[in-house]
Amino acid sequence: MIRYESQRVAYPYMALSLILFCLQVVMGLWLAINYGFTLSQGLVDTFSFATARPIHTNLLVAWLLLGFMGGAYFILPLECERELYSTKIAWIQFGLFVGAAVVAVIGFLFGWTQGKPLLEIPVPLDFVIVVAALLFVANVAITIIKAKVRSALQWMLLGGVTFLAVLYLFGIPFYRDLNADYYYWWWVIHLWVEGAWEVVTASIVAFIIMEVTGVERKVVEKWLYAETGLFLFTGIIGTGHHYYWLGAPDYWLWWGGIFSALEPLPIALMVIDTWMHVRERKNPIINPLIWTYIVGLAIYHFVGAGVWGFIHTLPQINYYTHGSQVTVSHGHMAFFGAYVLLNLTIYYFAFPRFRNIRKYNDRLGKWGFWTMSISMFFLSLVFGVAGILQTYLERLLDIGYSTAHLNMMFWFRIALGIGIVFLGGVVITVWHLFTLKPVEEGAAE
Amino acid sequence: MTGKAARNIFIGGTLVSALIFLWMTYDFHRQEPRLAKTEMIDEHVVAGKKVWHKYNCNDCHTILGFGGYYAPDMTKAYFRLGESNIASIVMHPETVYRNSFRKMPHLGVSETEVKDLTAFLRWVGNIENRKWPPQDEKYVKAFRLREVSAQKLEKVDIVMGACGGCHSFENQGRNIAGDFSAIAARITYDKETLAKFILDPQSVHPGIGMPPQQVSRETAELIADFILSLKVGKEVRK
Repeated sequence: MIRYESQRVAYPYMALSLILFCLQVVMGLWLAINYGFTLSQGLVDTFSFATARPIHTNLLVAWLLLGFMGGAYFILPLECERELYSTKIAWIQFGLFVGAAVVAVIGFLFGWTQGKPLLEIPVPLDFVIVVAALLFVANVAITIIKAKVRSALQWMLLGGVTFLAVLYLFGIPFYRDLNADYYYWWWVIHLWVEGAWEVVTASIVAFIIMEVTGVERKVVEKWLYAETGLFLFTGIIGTGHHYYWLGAPDYWLWWGGIFSALEPLPIALMVIDTWMHVRERKNPIINPLIWTYIVGLAIYHFVGAGVWGFIHTLPQINYYTHGSQVTVSHGHMAFFGAYVLLNLTIYYFAFPRFRNIRKYNDRLGKWGFWTMSISMFFLSLVFGVAGILQTYLERLLDIGYSTAHLNMMFWFRIALGIGIVFLGGVVITVWHLFTLKPVEEGAAE
Repeated sequence: MTGKAARNIFIGGTLVSALIFLWMTYDFHRQEPRLAKTEMIDEHVVAGKKVWHKYNCNDCHTILGFGGYYAPDMTKAYFRLGESNIASIVMHPETVYRNSFRKMPHLGVSETEVKDLTAFLRWVGNIENRKWPPQDEKYVKAFRLREVSAQKLEKVDIVMGACGGCHSFENQGRNIAGDFSAIAARITYDKETLAKFILDPQSVHPGIGMPPQQVSRETAELIADFILSLKVGKEVRK
């Protein structure tokens, strides 16, 4: 059921990203052990938390981006009604990107780092990634320009990936001034996850919803405009909720506070429109699992990014919760809800098509979805408890870092247990995706 | 709502937000010299920032609240710990945190690098960031008041402000080097010797791990008084 041969180039992107996903979660378990137990000096000297954390976070970013790129390559030919401009470019870009990622991870082990959280990849490798990104954007752009059909979705996708690539540049230079450093650091981190990534993923989701439900393009695109418009309107100035305590002018408290309080709105809109499209579907439900993913994505996105973000976005609260495990709780729930589920939705859309399967057996996939979704919810709750404990002991009662962290250790042991369950869910899901089995249509009814 | 109206909302919303944001970025740079005390940034501070990046400190420690949440925030570390304590911790974490529940890796930081790192942390501590983090404000206050007049401070504040980075007292401070009640019960120094010990531990007790403290003679005597007063309290209770 692949309509254009060049769509197949998306497969290596998606397949590799699933492996990285598993490794990322394994590294997460190791981080929980670091928090939950006292490690020996020798162990800390050879493989410190500061080495393990960037591996966990960079693997996350790498596999999510691989998923977005693969997803874009998969839907573009369908949306443009033509083959991709070049599968060769797509392969070269894949090679560069993966090469940079592998060298980066090995480099981390030997202390080769830019030393900026989440953007640890050293500058020479940054340039390799920039080249890969340029190839990607060019490939997408030329495919769209050469297409005979025009759609809003094409431009939205192109705009999103270009915005994404440009923002990355702000993390590369060395800044003399730490607060300016962090000012622009958020242009990468915040404007990615609450700007560019939202635009890219909203476009991909819009396309998948259109294909799966059969709802009219006109309706879907109208919603897409409204949502991405609101995302950017609230999200760009909403960056200010990271500027409260870094030494920026006072008005950021107001602008950041108000605009970020509005940030859940576009996500709420997304929940509503997904729900409406699902109800007013024109197509029959062939594989219920992808419908589960579409609805689950919308709801989890709202809870994780919207509600959990809103909870500690106001300056009065953020003064106490900033830089604590409360942020960790929000980070896990939001990344899982908004982006992990998004990538898996894309994969459940694409994988059956790669294998030419119309209807597949989804028993394992359902187990995977529910195990991951439920355990991630509890994992975030446990991080939240640890965060509130930390905030209360260290910042309200003012009884010091050690007391707070000693009390948090118990909760990290629980987090480790839940993390193992989550890993189980991930392995089941990945296994299921790689081994999709068709069902006889008649027998399944 | 028509498709065209939706598109206009998209373009308008994005542009308005982006323009306001860019203007505020311009204004941020205009106010940066005042808020970030940029005139304090000399070559040592810049070198110190490079040290901070080189050893990837930021993936365990937060600074300005950003980074890893594994180890204490470093924004006001200069006030919390002071120069020689930062040096001992960074250069010999395996000794300082020998009995701690959480360890810091031995990174092999050189003496020059520590000096630069301290200069960097001193500058960071001076950024006007609305008194964040809340738990370290007491150290900043104590540091500043100590510079002006030590007598004006509450005793507990002065002691914890100067010593709380390594010593604890009644649930305050961090217990790496012992709780003051326990220390008071143990030591046999008089006030004079104790003050001397605080200023230069090696001169009184060669081989001890505690680094010299950068406090005035006056403050050192106040701290000595405080510790010795705990001793009396204990004996009276008996």
